[in-house]
Amino acid sequence: MGKLKNKLVAVPYYIWAVVFIVVPLLMIAYSAFTNEDGAFTFQNILQIGIYGNVLLRSLLYALIATVCCLLLGYLLAYCMAQQSERGKNILMILLMLPMWINFVLRTQAMQDILDLIQSWMEAAGISLRISNTGFAIVLGLIYNYLPFMVLPIFTSLEKLDKRVIEAAEDLGANRMQVFRKVILPLTMPGIGSGVIMVFVPTISTFVISEKLGGAKYNLIGNVIQEQFLTVYNPNVGAAISLVMLLIMLFILIIFSFLDDETKEGLL
Amino acid sequence: MENIIELKDIHVSFEGEVILDHFNLNIKDKEFVTFLGPSGCGKTTTLRTIAGFIQPSQGKVLFEGKDITALPPHKRQVNTVFQRYALFPHYNVYDNIAFGLRISKTDEKEIAERVSEMLKLVNLKGFEKRNVTSLSGGQQQRVAIARALINNPKVLLLDEPLGALDLKLRKGMQTELKRIQRQMGITFIYVTHDQEEALTMSDTVVVMKDGLIQQIGTPEDIYNEPRNPFVADFIGESNIIEGLMLRDLLVKFEGVEFPCVDKGFGENKPVDVVVRPEDIEITEPKEGMLCGTVESVTFKGVHYEMMVRSENYLWKIHSITYKEIGTRVAMEIIPEYIHIMAKEV
Ligand SMILES: Nc1ncnc2c1ncn2[C@@H]1O[C@H](COP(=O)(O)OP(=O)(O)OP(=O)(O)O)[C@@H](O)[C@H]1O
Ligand SMILES: [Mg+2]
Repeated sequence: MGKLKNKLVAVPYYIWAVVFIVVPLLMIAYSAFTNEDGAFTFQNILQIGIYGNVLLRSLLYALIATVCCLLLGYLLAYCMAQQSERGKNILMILLMLPMWINFVLRTQAMQDILDLIQSWMEAAGISLRISNTGFAIVLGLIYNYLPFMVLPIFTSLEKLDKRVIEAAEDLGANRMQVFRKVILPLTMPGIGSGVIMVFVPTISTFVISEKLGGAKYNLIGNVIQEQFLTVYNPNVGAAISLVMLLIMLFILIIFSFLDDETKEGLL
Repeated sequence: MENIIELKDIHVSFEGEVILDHFNLNIKDKEFVTFLGPSGCGKTTTLRTIAGFIQPSQGKVLFEGKDITALPPHKRQVNTVFQRYALFPHYNVYDNIAFGLRISKTDEKEIAERVSEMLKLVNLKGFEKRNVTSLSGGQQQRVAIARALINNPKVLLLDEPLGALDLKLRKGMQTELKRIQRQMGITFIYVTHDQEEALTMSDTVVVMKDGLIQQIGTPEDIYNEPRNPFVADFIGESNIIEGLMLRDLLVKFEGVEFPCVDKGFGENKPVDVVVRPEDIEITEPKEGMLCGTVESVTFKGVHYEMMVRSENYLWKIHSITYKEIGTRVAMEIIPEYIHIMAKEV
């Protein structure tokens, strides 16, 4: 009886999942393997090869952004966890505050700031390019997705039992050893969620690359957007989306199969 | 015997609240010392000061005569069994115990030997691969002991290690801890608020209250010669009654004179008299004896606990003879069982 009730409670979720997840996925798969006339074809998938460079660049940017977010985010989360309750709340609000501003607006503002810095640098005779570069895109990715790394890590640091840390110190571990052997492994779940929450959206972003890259550094997200909105070739767009999905699925599965020690090793 | 740890004039306060003040204590090598006192009296604080987790704002901690006050916990040759164990949840039993040796970069072959030695010591052979979160309280507690002992500390600190165990398991672990301490030949500093535990296990008991040491002594000393009413009351059950020391070897309370064995208090001095419930013998009332009426009788297994009211005091008596409520009885106390304490000023 209780079991049935539990199942009934989940019904709305199943309906939601079918309507908004399963059906759209099937539609993407369908258009990926058909042409405009609805006939079956491999043409779309085979065409993806020409976007190989873009795909690699997207992967690279997402990877750099995720690693930077992880290093920066861990440090930030760690410092936050050391504060008093009050300090934690203040830092938390400071971290979340930019997220309350519209994403496109925020990115535009960043572009303007980078342009401004660029003009100052030119005035000072420095010939280094910052705005409209890959560097600017990665910077934008880090800036926008850092909170998604900080939050899960902070939560897992908060859950950490302080006495376990003391136990490690008591057994002779110095601060570095305590971190490596106790704090890091026990916050691995937080790191895992953070990495996924940053990597997945950064690899498919198109707004940030469009605004901050000066339309020169296309990422795979831009290609997909183009196929749907400007070139109007949704079948190719769907095919790229499908391949991206499989790549991400593959990465996540590998990630979840790694045991904690290998992950530590990677870090 | 030499002092392995000396606390000299320690002062600790948290947020302005003084926890330990002018705290002095010497602990001898290879001794089983117990800190005993009510909750919040500063036992854990003292232990953490020795382990190095608390920096006293004043005073010194000496280890084998050397000042270690400024030394961080990981450089001290003491190890701790924490209140509620604090095992590493991400390691199995083997890796938990091996932790200390891995830190000191011992080679794995030697680690394996030492871990199996430790598992044998705490009776946990065959548990190597078990997840620590799946262990019972008693088993976790043994892992915590093994983990702390593998570094060969000269001093082991134990903070209420048996607090979470049921009575039967506690008794078993008490004997086992005592055996481990003898076998390893090291100093144990043990914290408890269970007086019976303190009396059965310790060589020396330190009774504390509000951050102050009330009395230091062997369990027999503490039990038979409590220095003040607090100790008398905290260690075992006792009757504490005001009396008058008439002269050496003679005390008067409840209007009756009793010969006793204490002297040196002066003549006609008010004192506190302590008599343990099991030291009072119930007899037929006669003229000139301390008499009272039985107010309640409770069966306690080995004995009856009776409350007997005399003129001004309600006596607690443990007796194997049963007397009905309302019976008039006399209470006899032999001189050795009367303990006199000077009034606190
Ligand atoms: N980190 C801290 N911050 C503030 N006050 C503290 C801190 N640690 C302990 N105290 C206070 O110090 C006093 C002594 O605490 P302590 O933990 O030493 O007591 P205890 O004798 O071990 O008690 P228990 O038997 O309950 O474990 C208590 O009043 C406690 O509230
Ligand atoms: Mg305590």
